[in-house]
Formats: sequence, structure tokens, C-alpha cells
Amino acid sequence: MSLPVYLDHASTTPVDPRVATEMAACLSLGGTFGNPSSDGHVYGERARECVEAARARVAAAVGAEPAEVIWTCGATEADNLAIFGLSAHAHGRGRHIVTARTEHKAVLDPCRELERRGWQVTYLQPDRRGLVDPARLAEALRADTVLVSLMHVNNETGVSQDIAAYAAVCERHGGARLHVDAAQSFGKCPLDFGASGADLMSLSAHKAYGPKGAGALLVSRRRGVRIEARQFGGGQERGLRSGTIATHQVVGMGAAFEIAAAEWQSECRRLAVLRERLWHGLESQGGVLRNGAAPDVVAQILNVSFEGVEGESLLAAVAPEVAVSRGSACASASGEASYVLRALGRDQRLAESSLRFSLGRFTTERDIERTVAAVGGALAHLRRIAGACTTAR
Amino acid sequence: MHYSTLTRRYFAAAPGAGSLTGRGVATGIAGSREQGAWVQLQVRTEADGGGNLRVVEAGFLAFGCPHTIAAAAWLAEQATGRLLTADLPLPVEAIRQLFDAPVEKLGRLLVVEDAWRGVCAAAGV
Repeated sequence: MSLPVYLDHASTTPVDPRVATEMAACLSLGGTFGNPSSDGHVYGERARECVEAARARVAAAVGAEPAEVIWTCGATEADNLAIFGLSAHAHGRGRHIVTARTEHKAVLDPCRELERRGWQVTYLQPDRRGLVDPARLAEALRADTVLVSLMHVNNETGVSQDIAAYAAVCERHGGARLHVDAAQSFGKCPLDFGASGADLMSLSAHKAYGPKGAGALLVSRRRGVRIEARQFGGGQERGLRSGTIATHQVVGMGAAFEIAAAEWQSECRRLAVLRERLWHGLESQGGVLRNGAAPDVVAQILNVSFEGVEGESLLAAVAPEVAVSRGSACASASGEASYVLRALGRDQRLAESSLRFSLGRFTTERDIERTVAAVGGALAHLRRIAGACTTAR
Repeated sequence: MHYSTLTRRYFAAAPGAGSLTGRGVATGIAGSREQGAWVQLQVRTEADGGGNLRVVEAGFLAFGCPHTIAAAAWLAEQATGRLLTADLPLPVEAIRQLFDAPVEKLGRLLVVEDAWRGVCAAAGV
């Protein structure tokens, strides 16, 4: 039995073999396994050289300076460090944050925690396309606003936001720093930290064919951004993130980002064609609605609501053939619908019966054909059972 | 979500899926699509001469999770050939355990039971 087609790259990507090769060279006795913080011997020095080379590769890939890259264990930690670190530094100037209802939980949950600590948070409502209007952001800013946290590319819908416009709004305000969760955007659309005007930016390795357990927070030096550490014990990463740096992980991230920076445009062109082929194949089944559409959505993601079927059953029916995610923040038995799709105006039923197809570097035409056939078969099966096409016996 | 082999089998095959028409058909409907679980059960019965009704054919329609669909299909299969009684072949909790469904799915399985009660009421049992 062959494995299902993998169309869940927005959840995570396989490590590119070129990346894995570089990572493996850091692990064993003959490699750069030393502690990069160790002084006085060649093992530590070599590891430190690898870490700094990786830092330079990541920085070059995203338009940052190497000194602006703070290693973390992933984008969630980077989001937490940005939000709690900035709020700890700036609480004397104000205790108000602006974010959006469609942010990742890694941003929403820290904001809710700050609310419990007495902060005020404004949650912006995106429009029906999933876009946050910069004018709405400007209206939401107050004299005591110290942080705006808005994602670049939405993890469920693939909708890409205009972060330069948000940065301009924050610039005019003068007191609000802009944090951008870019976990889903690097390798899928243009990303230039320096040119974006953002103050802080979260990155993830495993969304870009690097390893899980590696990420970074970009902290703008040019813009004079200051945050406070949330983790102590060794003073690594300029005191902002103590702990031994996992050399093989950050080397993997560096390699993955370098590859993605070189290949993302051709990759996006190829995947855009496959994604539209997938959409037309699904659309032909009838009762299929697209959530988010070009030009706002990155080439890798297609989010679709299916009429007349229940979401958990649809996912279970396609699972033997295709690995996808529900367009849902919670696929648990509670049946909670995607808060992202609900915020975009989809009703509860359609939000629950949505699937996110996310294509990737190794997706083929054959994968798309197999997916269309599997989803078509599942829809026919479930709609027959549900009585949409009642069979008299 | 993990599904047992039995759940996957009945979910995929869905024996008895469809509507029954004609004489001697009793129908029970419970739940709603808006709530995430809707089940229609139907049986065709014949009097057995002793004042009882014997189920000669059963069918179902279901909108819901794999456990809901599997349980409805299983119940339609189990009912066929039996005397029609208000009692399920197994209590709902036992059906949940049979399919290894999580406790939080019990509410959806109760929809299947409600549909069965509707069948019996429609048949005068």
C-alpha cells in the first residue's frame, strides 16, 4: 500500500535532502558537534563558526543583518519572545496591543495572557478576503499602543497581508512597534525584513524544508528595537535567549533558507499551476467554495469548503489517499469550527467542512490527479450517505 | 482522530445507506445538520403472525462524524431479521465501546438512538 499524497506542507515540510546532509555533518564525533559556547578548543570554535555561518545565511535570505537574528526553537517561541519581550520593555509607555482575530494561536494566546495581566488588546476583524485593512489598524492605534502583531501569510487560508502598509501606519503613530509572524511566508512570497519596516519578525525552519525545533526572531537593530529576555541561564543570543544553541538545527535552518531564497520564485510558479489544477478538479465536483483567492493567496495553499458533508468525515474519508488538514483550528471531537474561516464570514457548517490543501517542493501532477480522485470519491460517498443524492431501494 | 478497524469498516462500506420506500416502512429522524449530527433510520417490517413485527429490511442516511455513520450503518445491519423492539441491540454506551469512540462522541451516538426510537414510535412499537 502506498503512502497518502502529502498535501499538508503548511503544517510542516519534509527536510530537504540537501539540508539533511549539512545537518548530519554536525552530529557525530567527526563533525562539528561541539558546544558553540565553548571557548578554548577547536570543537567549540568550529561549532561557533557553523552557527555564525548559519546566522549569516538566514539573514541574507530575509534581508536582515546577522546580528538581528536571534535563534529560537521555532516560530511559537519567537512569537512569545517578541510579544512578552517587547511588552516587558515597553509597559512603562503603555499597555495596549493590536492584533487580528485570524492570527495564529502562538500570537493570540500570549495576547490573552497579557490581558489576564491587565493589558488591553484590540482584535482587528479582517474583511471577507481575509485582509486586514491598514486604515482599520490606524483607527485602532491609541496613544498607549506599544505593539502591533500581524501575520504575513495566514496559516489556514494562505492570504498574504501588506506588512509594509502596516509598518507605515505604525511609523506614523510613532510609538507602536510592529511584530510580524512570518512563519508561513518565507519561501512562499517576497520577504525582506529590512525593507518591510517591521521591528520584529518570527521565522520557522520546518515550514521551509528545514528541521523542526529551529526558528528565529529578527530584532531590528536599524530601528533600535529593544526587548527583554524571557529565558535566562547562560546569556546566549545577546542575552535574549539563553541555552545551548543546537548547532545542527540552526545549520539546517541556514541551509534551508539559502535554498529557499534561491528557488522560491520558480517553485511558486510551478505550484501555482498545480494549485489551480487542483482547484478546477475539486470545483468540478460541485458544492465547493474557495476560501481566499489569488492574488491575495500564496501559491502553496488552497482552502476549500465543501457543501453537504461533515468535516471530520470528509477528512477521514480522504485520509487513506491524501494527507491534508481541516481548515480548522481544532479538529477535536468538539467540532469547533475554524476561527479563521468564521472570521472571514463562513458559517459554522461550512467552516467545519473545510480542508486546507498545502502543496510543496516535491508535489507532482500525479499527486494532484490522485487528490482530485480521492476527494471526488469521498464527496460522492458522504453525500450519498447524507441523502444529498437519496437512493431509493 | 484515531478510528478503530470496525469504525473504519462500517464508515467506508456504509452497508444499508439509502432510503426505503413503499409499504410497511417506518422512519425515525433525529438531530440536525446544524448541530453536526443528523440520522434517518428506516425499517420495513412484516407481521410474524404472533403480533410482532419482524424487520425485513433496514436503511439509514446520516450526516455526521465517522462514528455516527458507522453506528447508524451497524444498527441498520443488526436490525435486519430481528423483531422490532424499542431496545437497541446494545446499549448506547456499549455501542460507543464497540466502536472505541471517545466519550465526547456519546452525544452523537445518542442521536442514532433517538432515530431508532423514532422508528419504533412510527411503527407503533
